[in-house]
Amino acid sequence: MRAPLSSRIVVYGFSALLAAVCLFPFLWMIVSSLKELRELYTIPPSWIPQNPTLSNYATVLFSSNIPRYFLNSVVISLGSTALSLALAIFASYGFARFRFRGKAAAQSFVLVGQLLPTAAIIVPLFVTLRWLDLVNTYLGLILVYMIITLPLSVWMLTSYFKAIPVELEEAAIIDGASRMGVLFRITLPLSLPGLVAVTVYAFVTTWNEFIFALCFATDSSVKTLPIGLAEFTTEFNTDWGAVMAASMIMTLPVALLFLSMQRLFIGGLMAGATKG
Amino acid sequence: MGTVTIDQVRKAYGTLEVLHGVNVNIADGEFVVLVGPSGCGKSTLLRMIAGLEEITSGTISVGGRVVNDLRPKERDIAMVFQSYALYPHMTVAENMGFSLKLARADKAERQRRVAEAARILGLESLLDRRPGQLSGGQRQRVAMGRSIVRDPAVFLFDEPLSNLDAKLRVQMRSEIKALHQRLGTTTVYVTHDQIEAMTMADRIVVMHGGRVEQIGTPLDLYDRPANIFVATFIGSPAMNILEGRISGGRFIAADGSEVDLGGRGATERGHVLLGVRPEHLVPGPGGLPAQIITVEPTGSETHVTARLGGQDVVGAFRERITGRPGDVLSLRPHPAALHLFDADTGERLEA
Repeated sequence: MRAPLSSRIVVYGFSALLAAVCLFPFLWMIVSSLKELRELYTIPPSWIPQNPTLSNYATVLFSSNIPRYFLNSVVISLGSTALSLALAIFASYGFARFRFRGKAAAQSFVLVGQLLPTAAIIVPLFVTLRWLDLVNTYLGLILVYMIITLPLSVWMLTSYFKAIPVELEEAAIIDGASRMGVLFRITLPLSLPGLVAVTVYAFVTTWNEFIFALCFATDSSVKTLPIGLAEFTTEFNTDWGAVMAASMIMTLPVALLFLSMQRLFIGGLMAGATKG
Repeated sequence: MGTVTIDQVRKAYGTLEVLHGVNVNIADGEFVVLVGPSGCGKSTLLRMIAGLEEITSGTISVGGRVVNDLRPKERDIAMVFQSYALYPHMTVAENMGFSLKLARADKAERQRRVAEAARILGLESLLDRRPGQLSGGQRQRVAMGRSIVRDPAVFLFDEPLSNLDAKLRVQMRSEIKALHQRLGTTTVYVTHDQIEAMTMADRIVVMHGGRVEQIGTPLDLYDRPANIFVATFIGSPAMNILEGRISGGRFIAADGSEVDLGGRGATERGHVLLGVRPEHLVPGPGGLPAQIITVEPTGSETHVTARLGGQDVVGAFRERITGRPGDVLSLRPHPAALHLFDADTGERLEA
């Protein structure tokens, strides 16, 4: 049965409005990245570049540190996401399936780290990294980002694992699977949407993070893209065209990640497991 | 050999004991049904045989081998779950072959055994489907196929039919029974449905409150229930129970109505329960007056609820009863088919 026309108009209207609000910054980013610097400052602003140019992209790609920062961002984001996912899988499976003393407390403590304001943990983290001799290294930043993303990853995966009927795992155990076998052959394949969600969350969080990168990366061998954006602002002026072009380059991988994973977010994998 | 021996088995969660020393001996090839109301411990017992629950004390042996400390896969058992528990991300063939894959059987062998099981269950055309594309009955068959493929010494079924609709349930019931007759594999089957138990079992184990109430063939339990619990649990409509006493070879109900015990009430007893199955109430002259409360025609027989001896009783008659609520029938309990129980212990009283 279809909803009446009037309510469909309302739904589509609000959806369109929401989409417009969300997408406007991206549109503006694209438009601005193609304008000449002079035109960026004209008032009223123009919607379509008068002399579309790729010079901003050329600046970013050939005469800035952005390509190197891009590589750093990829290494650090992939590293911390992989590490975070690996640890979260085992921690979450334990929380979801086993009963042990202090489980509730342990689960709460996982979240406590998340409650502290960023500013409050920068100094302790810096001191720790310094002591470990990891300041301005890939590994240092990977570890820091793992600390940031792990708690929520554990909580998301725990609830995902809990939603998988325990009979499936029992059937697999009777079929002869070990605990590890159950986890890798049954639980993880069925948790794919959850794993994807956690991966995207961890990756995007790390990719966009600014403060920690600013504090713990001190030269261009480790600095990440958000720092690169900030570096276009000098003491006296800002090359907005370059900032916009670099933003486009920074946004592209995340957008591609979301688009490719979108289908997997939507569950439906569990259909037919048990009754119903 | 698929014998199963359950010896003095107890199960406790912390200080809460849910099984209080259960003994059951199951012969090779036997179809044994564990039946009882929910919470009686029947599923727990089955899961202990399977190795999904620890055994607190006592021993369980499969094929003469104590399995207490063996992992499920080493016990030579296969289990069908109530919810089927099919792996949704695998095809029917992969579901059925999963155990062989884990056991590293070679691929040709695996395919041969899956094909064989599929043929037995009529699943050949569905091997490439996923569980989500199957009907309830088909899923049930795949779950059984997964067990058959392993060729275990013992099949365990945990309420496998409770998710099916009534018609399909009757059909799967006879399919499971036919399968058992064909394969001859020892089967332990848990259900709360006494009809399922009666129709499928070689022997029934009636459980209640973590204890075994009685073990016997279906007709044994029906004809000679060991106690009041079994008497009222087995049979539908349930057995009528009248309170009263025995005096002078006759049963005297609370309101003074008398029932001839057919020579069984030799000893005088103050407080007994008289059990009469609904079909053993015979309409006809010389019986006790019973005022009809409701009449329920089922087609093949008619169930009548009536007030007899100061209590409500149910009669099941092959004849069509034309009486209306309020009418008085004359009902005579069949003297050869009466059951007497001690009112205090609930145990059966022999003649």
